[in-house]
Amino acid sequence: MIEYTKEELQTFEDDIKNEFIKGNIRYPIHLSRGNEYQLIEIFKKYNIGDNDWCFCSHRNHYLALLKGIPKEWLKNQIITGHSMHLMSKEYKFFASSIVGGSLFPAVGVADSGEHTFCFVGDMCSLTGKFHESVQYSLHFNLPITFVIECNGMSTNTPSYETVNIEHKHDSSIKTIHEWENGKVIRYCYERKTPHINVDQFVSFQ
Amino acid sequence: MNYREEMCKAMNLLRDNGYLFVGQSCKYYGTAMFSTLKDVPISQRKEFMVAEDFQLGWSIGQSLVGKKVCSLFPRMDFLISASDQLVNHLDKIEKLSDGEFKPKVIIRTSVGSKTPINPGLQHVGDYSKEIRSMCKNIKVIELYSSELIAKSYKNALESDKSTILVEYGELYDNVPIR
Repeated sequence: MIEYTKEELQTFEDDIKNEFIKGNIRYPIHLSRGNEYQLIEIFKKYNIGDNDWCFCSHRNHYLALLKGIPKEWLKNQIITGHSMHLMSKEYKFFASSIVGGSLFPAVGVADSGEHTFCFVGDMCSLTGKFHESVQYSLHFNLPITFVIECNGMSTNTPSYETVNIEHKHDSSIKTIHEWENGKVIRYCYERKTPHINVDQFVSFQ
Repeated sequence: MNYREEMCKAMNLLRDNGYLFVGQSCKYYGTAMFSTLKDVPISQRKEFMVAEDFQLGWSIGQSLVGKKVCSLFPRMDFLISASDQLVNHLDKIEKLSDGEFKPKVIIRTSVGSKTPINPGLQHVGDYSKEIRSMCKNIKVIELYSSELIAKSYKNALESDKSTILVEYGELYDNVPIR
């Protein structure tokens, strides 16, 4: 398993950002920034390795690197338009760009006995899909861990406002909360990138 | 052989090939489909939550790890509730993954019978044409007669693609449908 530092993860995303700015990526990208510490901790603590499955969403570059996907292969996938739905059988990695789209296949994989981690955003964690997946998995005691990555936003919509929850988002607390014997965990962070693409005008010639 | 007997035979074919039958009324009576699983051992049936999108996504997940799944939706109207996993995932995963993942699920569904009682608009829909137009990588086969059943299930079994097999409730009672 390749281990990454916060700086190494950021360097990869900076490289992708630069490629986008240069007009070399003609597809949407969703960069990460601000959750390096938490993800590195989670991968270490839960010993997420080659034999585990990782399911996630469109914001997946950090997860792919930490899962062991080679940087070069990942970059090529991003440049060729696969960032939003990155998938690899060899690395047991599955991303869907539909909110909650990874949840049900993740549970199906876990129900075969394969150890599975499923990363979702905070808006997704408020949906019926998430409820169904977690309830089923807990009651069947499946080898799956759900990770809620809470930045308080869904695209640019404050997630908790939509369900009338007063949410005090404190991303300064680098705490990973666990429920249900570690089957559901949640961490907060402040998203330091735009929801999509980059924070400057890019000209595609 | 009549429609029901042919369906039983088709289910036995999947049974013998190691398929798991998943859905509502797999283990407990309540639909015409249930009666066609009479020769399938309980160990090869999984009663699932009535949560169609979940059921199909779960079936996809099983397929990703090489399991053989026949996912049952007693009404085509209910399959519509699984549209996200059907259209955005099962149909697209092979292309999205550059062929790394090739999930295959055999989907069994039925157009509800209108006789002798009509269950209403939410239980008699036939969306075969619409699903075919949305899913370019999934075969949709309408089982308009008992003669089509054995061959269609054999083809579904041998294909590396997913197949939706649509049966017609009225044919279980030998009522002509067209």
